[in-house]
Amino acid sequence: MSDHAVAHGTGHGGASHAHGGLGKYLAVFVALCALSTASFFTTSQHWPYHDQPSVGWAFMMAVSCTKALLVVLFFMHVKYEANWKYVLTIPASLMALFLGLALVPDIGMRVRGGFNYGYSEERYRHAAQASDTLALEQASRRVGAHSKGANSESLHSEGAHGEGAHGAPGNAASGGQGH
Amino acid sequence: METAATHPVSHAHGQLAHGHGHEHGHLKLHYQPALPISNGKLMMWLFLSTEIMFFAGLIAVYIVLRFGALTWPSQSAVHLEERIGFINTFVLICSSVTVVLSLEACRSHNPAMAKMWLAATLALGGVFLAIKAYEYNQKFLHGIYPRYPRSQIYERPDLEYGSAVRVRAQELLVPLQTAGYDKPLSAAQTRRLKRLEAAAQRSPQEEQAYRRLRARREGYERFRFLQDLKTRASSTQPDVLAALAAEIMPIRPRGSHEHLEGLNDLNPWLKMPIVIPGGNMWASTYFTLTGFHALHVLVGLIVFAIMMPMRFTPDRANMIENIGLYWHFVDIVWIFLFPLLYLF
Repeated sequence: MSDHAVAHGTGHGGASHAHGGLGKYLAVFVALCALSTASFFTTSQHWPYHDQPSVGWAFMMAVSCTKALLVVLFFMHVKYEANWKYVLTIPASLMALFLGLALVPDIGMRVRGGFNYGYSEERYRHAAQASDTLALEQASRRVGAHSKGANSESLHSEGAHGEGAHGAPGNAASGGQGH
Repeated sequence: METAATHPVSHAHGQLAHGHGHEHGHLKLHYQPALPISNGKLMMWLFLSTEIMFFAGLIAVYIVLRFGALTWPSQSAVHLEERIGFINTFVLICSSVTVVLSLEACRSHNPAMAKMWLAATLALGGVFLAIKAYEYNQKFLHGIYPRYPRSQIYERPDLEYGSAVRVRAQELLVPLQTAGYDKPLSAAQTRRLKRLEAAAQRSPQEEQAYRRLRARREGYERFRFLQDLKTRASSTQPDVLAALAAEIMPIRPRGSHEHLEGLNDLNPWLKMPIVIPGGNMWASTYFTLTGFHALHVLVGLIVFAIMMPMRFTPDRANMIENIGLYWHFVDIVWIFLFPLLYLF
């Protein structure tokens, strides 16, 4: 089959071979890896904005949009398509955007307060509060300090660590449960 | 219209066939009866535009729930490892590259190479799903389920949680009592056990007695351990209950990197209810988003598997291109899910 026939077969027209190239794909691949690492970097200790999480969120979303754009333009070949691409992508993107924007009042209503942050009385009473998270974290810190001490006789460190370990309550009682 | 009807395939060649009825001689109109792409590709793009809306809706709902919640669990509280998510991102990016290389190989008359790259894509997709399965299993082991079996997550260390701990402790205590492990060994039995333990050689009868006595001692230890948990869970003091919850499953404070193990980790048989503030909503959104994404990966893998036995002559390039479009879309969804779920 001739190149000409291939071009027809793929429906691309004669330009179908012009935009390929291992080099370009590799460059995009390297860029995607670098951008992913940049996102991941926000969890590292060297990331300077740990006290302002929204900086990290904005950064990560910008990185994600860039990555998505790279994939769409080069891997999905949208960069080289004719103008029909706008007919499909623009309405879909707008719809997706409206879907998201339609939910914004919900976010606004919740975080801007109102009675019980917009929760029903019943739900608010059982919902976890930020203070619950804080209390648990503080208690966990104490537990961590406690278990790191030399107190190896404490009951919870005698748990079923492995099979046949002497003094592990796990083995005996699993036998007990079998009765 | 007339032209399009009489020459339905003319668009595939990008020009009109000549020599029919209403030709004007000097005026050559290039009439395009449809989009200048194959029907398959058009349908794939239409399908993808519905998919864009589907995932945009899901992600938007996640964002509303995430930022509207009074509190949201940190990654460590729900046993989510950023590193694993990062590895999966890398795997999917690689698979996007291999599928595009498969298409290029197919177009440049290299069916063997095309098949090899497609097989690589299939393998990478499999790796992604395997890692995902491992992650899900980690959640299940820690008592975090989408819904069934009943999630063990409680929102706060309150009286309701305390009573759930008591119920579970009682469940474990009953078989111990039935087996007679609720009484300590007598002084004579303890002495005998010590003697048997120290013995270098035990006869079969002695061995049996030794095992029985040891089981009784350990059973009693476990009995006391559960009794103690039950007593503490009966407290009405919020700080006692919070300490109990933290001991059963500690929550690493944000910014700390130390590895904490709770009673549930140390004793896999214990399976006590746990407290993760905001954990139920987290589990719902996590399993919904990653579940739908994994389902899309699975569908892609099935299509790749069906295609594997084919011979990738250049006329099959359309097919690879279309499934490739789908696969890249699945990759793009993960590009957004990874930071939203693992890093936010």
